[in-house]
Amino acid sequence: MKFGNLLKKELGELITKQAVISMVFVLVLFVFMGQIMGHSMEEGFDTSTLNICIRDDSDFTKNVIERIKTDAATELNIVDIQSDNYYDELERLDLKYVVIIPEGYGDTIVDEKKPGQLIFASKVSLGFSAAMSSISSSDAVSTIIDHSADEAMESIYGLTAEDVELLTSPANTVEFSAANGKSVEISAAAVSSIVMMESMIAPFAIFFLLLLASQMIMTAISTEKIDKTLETLLSTPVSRMTVLTAKMVAAIISALLNAVFMIIGFGIYMVSIMGGAMSGAAAGSEVINMPDAGAFTDVLSTADAISQLGFSLSGADILFFGLQLFLTLAIGLSISLILGATATDVKSVQTLVMPIMIAVMIPFFVTMFMDFGEMPVAAKVIMFLIPFTHSYIALTNLMSGDMIMYWGGLAYQIVFFAVCMFLAVRMFTSDKLFTMSFSTENKTNKKLLKK
Amino acid sequence: MAKVLEVRELSKKYPKRDVFSADKVSFDVEEGEIFALIGPNGAGKTTTIRMISTLIEATSGDALVAGHSIVKEPDKVRENITYLPDEAGAYKTMTGRKYLYFMAGLFTADKMTIERYVRTAEQICGLGERLDDKIGGYSRGMIRKLLLSRAVMTEPKLAIMDEATSGLDVINALEIRNTIKKLAKEKNMSFLLSSHNMLEIEYLSDRVGIMTNGKLMITGTVPELKERYNAVNLEEVFERVVLEHEVR
Repeated sequence: MKFGNLLKKELGELITKQAVISMVFVLVLFVFMGQIMGHSMEEGFDTSTLNICIRDDSDFTKNVIERIKTDAATELNIVDIQSDNYYDELERLDLKYVVIIPEGYGDTIVDEKKPGQLIFASKVSLGFSAAMSSISSSDAVSTIIDHSADEAMESIYGLTAEDVELLTSPANTVEFSAANGKSVEISAAAVSSIVMMESMIAPFAIFFLLLLASQMIMTAISTEKIDKTLETLLSTPVSRMTVLTAKMVAAIISALLNAVFMIIGFGIYMVSIMGGAMSGAAAGSEVINMPDAGAFTDVLSTADAISQLGFSLSGADILFFGLQLFLTLAIGLSISLILGATATDVKSVQTLVMPIMIAVMIPFFVTMFMDFGEMPVAAKVIMFLIPFTHSYIALTNLMSGDMIMYWGGLAYQIVFFAVCMFLAVRMFTSDKLFTMSFSTENKTNKKLLKK
Repeated sequence: MAKVLEVRELSKKYPKRDVFSADKVSFDVEEGEIFALIGPNGAGKTTTIRMISTLIEATSGDALVAGHSIVKEPDKVRENITYLPDEAGAYKTMTGRKYLYFMAGLFTADKMTIERYVRTAEQICGLGERLDDKIGGYSRGMIRKLLLSRAVMTEPKLAIMDEATSGLDVINALEIRNTIKKLAKEKNMSFLLSSHNMLEIEYLSDRVGIMTNGKLMITGTVPELKERYNAVNLEEVFERVVLEHEVR
């Protein structure tokens, strides 16, 4: 009853109207960003229309154009570029790019047997879609080059269509992905992109969960101390452990709620991006320059290949991951509890949250950009000692079946948590709760006094 | 009369400090009595009060609250006391009424008793409809009245109040003093007060203890002390006791 009363109060303090509004705001922001990014990805991948200006009237060029016209995946948009001011011309025609086949293109190839020259003019666009647009434009140029090569081989060297086909595609590739002692006929890029999608959300969740929960409990404890409500609370017939537990449980519940909003938002964001990429890719002639997106479409129909490789998570894996996540959260909270109890003003809370932020951020970025297994031994040891590292790599360990690494990390975390909790409980049940202090004001004042 | 509080050679020495913050402090508070601890800043009043409230541990000595030791039975002690710290705040996101319900719920699980406690507090604080407003919007006087009513609503054997009226205007301070006096007389509640306001102490207290340098120098009723030090008022008594024992 008393615990319930305390927990209700703590939750009421953490889950305020403002907190709920900010959670919804994050969700809306992710959805909004996903829509924008998805749209730009879709635009970027659209290689189905080829904007072309033909200034050459040779038979060779005419045949190349006919070849492109028979290419079902490419739609020709023939335009007239009247001047060399490409910016004005592209603005006038409302185009992002254009490929110009100049006069003499066919003659250079047929008569002089030299490479013809194509002109590619493209608007510089800043932002996320810029890179994607340039990929699609160079892809457009390659379409003309490929068909020019085919035409040259047939008309100049007299090869048959079958010979040309053999020369341009002399080999087909069958891709195998090998992992966890098995190999499956699927593109490795496809496996990587799917596994990355699966395992990317988890580190984000851990990252936000840890920072949020730590800040919450720190603020909860320090505010009580600063406002002297803690003294009132601890002089009532409630044990300090009950007060402590209520605060920690409330921080966990509140952090989980925040994380759920954030994960849903992030999930929608990722789906929007991939949706944009896939629909753009599907509309394109060939997905040559974006292997991941092409692979993604392959994998959707062969999801069982992923599970055959052991990359899908079983119920037990999810349970193990949950255990790992809970322990990480508990470690973060116990450290925050100790630090929060030493704060004597709001500014010092902001300073005290820094060590936790650093300890959370280092493994977050390192594990995102590096493979833990391939790091130098010294770096591995340092990373192993940071308790939060084990949560970031837990999912990868579970997916790849590296249970020694998983259990080793978990055992270390249990020991770390036990030590932190022992110190936290000891501090909370002793005078130190009221006598320990960390104040930024005092330091500032001392500095001023020295001056 | 029965003793509600028996303080026996209670001492506290904080780590990294050479001297005792409270040094063998001994005094009693009887049922229905208002006892005040006065002394200069750093005399050891708050340390003594915090030890009796079981917030910090005593280095040596003991105190019995309603027969329960603060060292051996701190849980039992907390059932019999309430503590109002100096410049204490309340949870700003709660309404005044919610705060009272929350605090009452920490003393009992019985809903009827909780209701009774809250009704008592409502009457004492006199905040009326403002009790339904968030505490964040309260004035200092309103918060103090709310906290005082919270401290006495459970009718504890001993209510401990550090600077009960600090920072309040004359009218608010008078109201709070009258409430304390009334509760001691009518409900037979005992009060352990600490204050720098000599006028307040002279008006409120049945007995006074003067502390300096961690030691309780003297206890007695205000008339007794005035006579002993041949002083016109408590302020003069205070000054003479402090000067007499000051370490120069």
